[in-house]
Amino acid sequence: MNRPLVEVHHLYYRYAASSPDWILRDLNLRIHAGEYVLLAGASGSGKSTLCRALNGLIPHFYEGVMEGQVTVRNLDTRSSTVGELFAHVGMIFQNPAAQLFSETVVQELAFGLESLGLARQEINRRLEESAEMVGIGHLLDRNPQHLSGGEQQLVAIAAAMALHPELIVLDEPYASLDPANVRRIRSALSRIHQSGTAIVISEHRLQHVVADVDRMCVLDRGQIVLDGPPRTVLSEEITAFGLNAPTVVQMAKAMGLSDVPLTVEEFKDAIPAFTTEPDLGPNPPAAEAHGPFPVLQTENLWFSFEKTPVLRGINLTLYPGECLALVGANGSGKTTLIKHFNGLYRPHHGRVLVLDQDTLRTKTSRLASHVGLAFQNANDQFFRFQVRDEIEVGARALKRYNKHWLDELTTLFRLEPLLERSPYRLSEGEKKRVAFAAALAAQPEILVLDEPTTGQDWPFRQALGEFLRDLQARGQTIVMVTHDLEFAEQYACRWVLLAGGEILTNGHSWEVMGNEPAMQRAGLEPTEAFQIRKAFLEKAR
Amino acid sequence: MTIRLDPRTKLLLAVLYAAWIMTTRSLPWLLAELGLLWLGVVLVREGRTYLKWLRVLMAMTIAWFLIAWWAFDLMAAVTASLRLLSLSSTFFLFFRTTSPYDLSNALVKSGLPYEVAFVFRTSLQFVPVITRKARNIFDAQRSRGIPLEPGWAALRHYPALMTPLLIQAFQLADELAEALEARGFSRPGRTFMQDYRLQAVDWAVLCGAVILLLAIILIP
Repeated sequence: MNRPLVEVHHLYYRYAASSPDWILRDLNLRIHAGEYVLLAGASGSGKSTLCRALNGLIPHFYEGVMEGQVTVRNLDTRSSTVGELFAHVGMIFQNPAAQLFSETVVQELAFGLESLGLARQEINRRLEESAEMVGIGHLLDRNPQHLSGGEQQLVAIAAAMALHPELIVLDEPYASLDPANVRRIRSALSRIHQSGTAIVISEHRLQHVVADVDRMCVLDRGQIVLDGPPRTVLSEEITAFGLNAPTVVQMAKAMGLSDVPLTVEEFKDAIPAFTTEPDLGPNPPAAEAHGPFPVLQTENLWFSFEKTPVLRGINLTLYPGECLALVGANGSGKTTLIKHFNGLYRPHHGRVLVLDQDTLRTKTSRLASHVGLAFQNANDQFFRFQVRDEIEVGARALKRYNKHWLDELTTLFRLEPLLERSPYRLSEGEKKRVAFAAALAAQPEILVLDEPTTGQDWPFRQALGEFLRDLQARGQTIVMVTHDLEFAEQYACRWVLLAGGEILTNGHSWEVMGNEPAMQRAGLEPTEAFQIRKAFLEKAR
Repeated sequence: MTIRLDPRTKLLLAVLYAAWIMTTRSLPWLLAELGLLWLGVVLVREGRTYLKWLRVLMAMTIAWFLIAWWAFDLMAAVTASLRLLSLSSTFFLFFRTTSPYDLSNALVKSGLPYEVAFVFRTSLQFVPVITRKARNIFDAQRSRGIPLEPGWAALRHYPALMTPLLIQAFQLADELAEALEARGFSRPGRTFMQDYRLQAVDWAVLCGAVILLLAIILIP
């Protein structure tokens, strides 16, 4: 066999000499030319660190302690500079906006080629070729900062591909993208794979990746614990490593099927006739009985940004004790809508009533004590030195401070060990928990969560689901905004589907997902669980 | 306008024009200079943006006018505010017709270190990104009942806006530095996709401008 493209040999790494824990511990890995490899693992398992070790950012950009050896095409990453390695290994980061820095897409694609010192004609040839391969030819003159998150990721991929690398490394590229954009990037990556470039990708939501890759490596506490074709790896027990197998895999295992399917199509072909659907734990909750008076109402709500309507006649009623999911693609108006719930935005037409108070006539500081809103990026709100202050500050400002309730929240979100720590030093999942507690600190009647699962691993999602169930059991009204349909299906009793600033349909998750034209217009795909259920119903007929 | 001038020519023109404004004492000439600039704004079809921008500048100009009036006399105040208006309009016109990318690359060609030029143009590029971040923080804090609406209360709570903004700006800078490194920023031997060369028309325009300026200054 040929010499591997990348060889990782007994690699140890920690970010500071003073920290006692190794992030990577005795890690060994060989990647061959043209392979498509998934790195799976819970948050903190070392995926991002490993990605950065493959192109020399570790050890050159980070001042940590590295032991062992990484070689790329016979170049030792320790003795070669990033400048020598970057054309062999292209890197695409998680945050799309923070890796693009040019005024136009053309300049963005040209940047790496200029670094290589290529001639003008060659630069133009290569950037056009790369733009075409990735499918962004129509975006060349645009400003990268004005593109959608999905388009930005494609630009970053094209910028890496223009260098003709032998390997590209993508660190959770799907984290903040909606399903339609995930599909676009998946197909671009498949084309790249077919052209012979090796790909390493890390991702939490396995169902988006397993069908594409040749190989799956599971990381746990800095080591590779499972490695092989995805079917082989997924036939093992992976929950202990903080991973949740795709629904089709779980279902096939529960039915005792011998082959592990990776897609719903494969699953359909594999199920024998006359089988009934196995039970996989609690079904999506049905809409629950609720009080007679709504806590929140929007009546024919219209809102525009610079004369472009973003919300078009939204009529929505929220009853006490409900857990409602606002689902839709990025840019469908979800976040704009929830910003109306506490008066951050005021309707241009129509009105919004929160506990019978018209938001046009009520101050945000007053509405905020009834509606607790936690936005996607928890870092937007931290300014105190201790988690405890951070949770209390809102309640004090709203004059709704209640020590007893704050203690309860601390227990509910398991924050006791973190209270004295600085919010900035927490993991992203812990930060989210602090932000949720802060949103509830003033005992609001309505809790609103904006994309709560973005970029989070399975253990976090499970814990969040439990918090939501506990809160619902106390009668808390919850609204979550998400394009993570798997999560919404499990925990929300009612869905409202948004597209282009309008409500397309509204009801139980199965009703909404069963409305194919609406789902298509919204750019969403039904969950695997729903598709499987449909397959069984069709078989039974 | 179809004449394509080198960014450096445009920069020098702007500086020369500014020098002319600074040396002009008579009111009619000052008005003429401003009129010429407005003509330029109309010619490059930037009228609408200019008016928007002028609205912001007006507050400053009025303050400037009042201070000068109070300190000197009415005539001095009028000249001073006209100068301020003309000077800022000159550079408005310059920046609206010259992309920071072209300007910085052209200056690199004339010997400015690439790193300096890069910082200059990237910081302009990231102003909207930081503004967006500030708006998100503003919304997040108001949602918690922290009053950040303009007013005295906002002053007291201003760490709630500045702390997250500063920390995120540093994070952004770190992430960008990493992304730059991964695209070969520090590799020696960089080439440029576009070439910048002073053409005959650049030299002609520059010579003409210098002669004109000297004539205006020297002939009373």
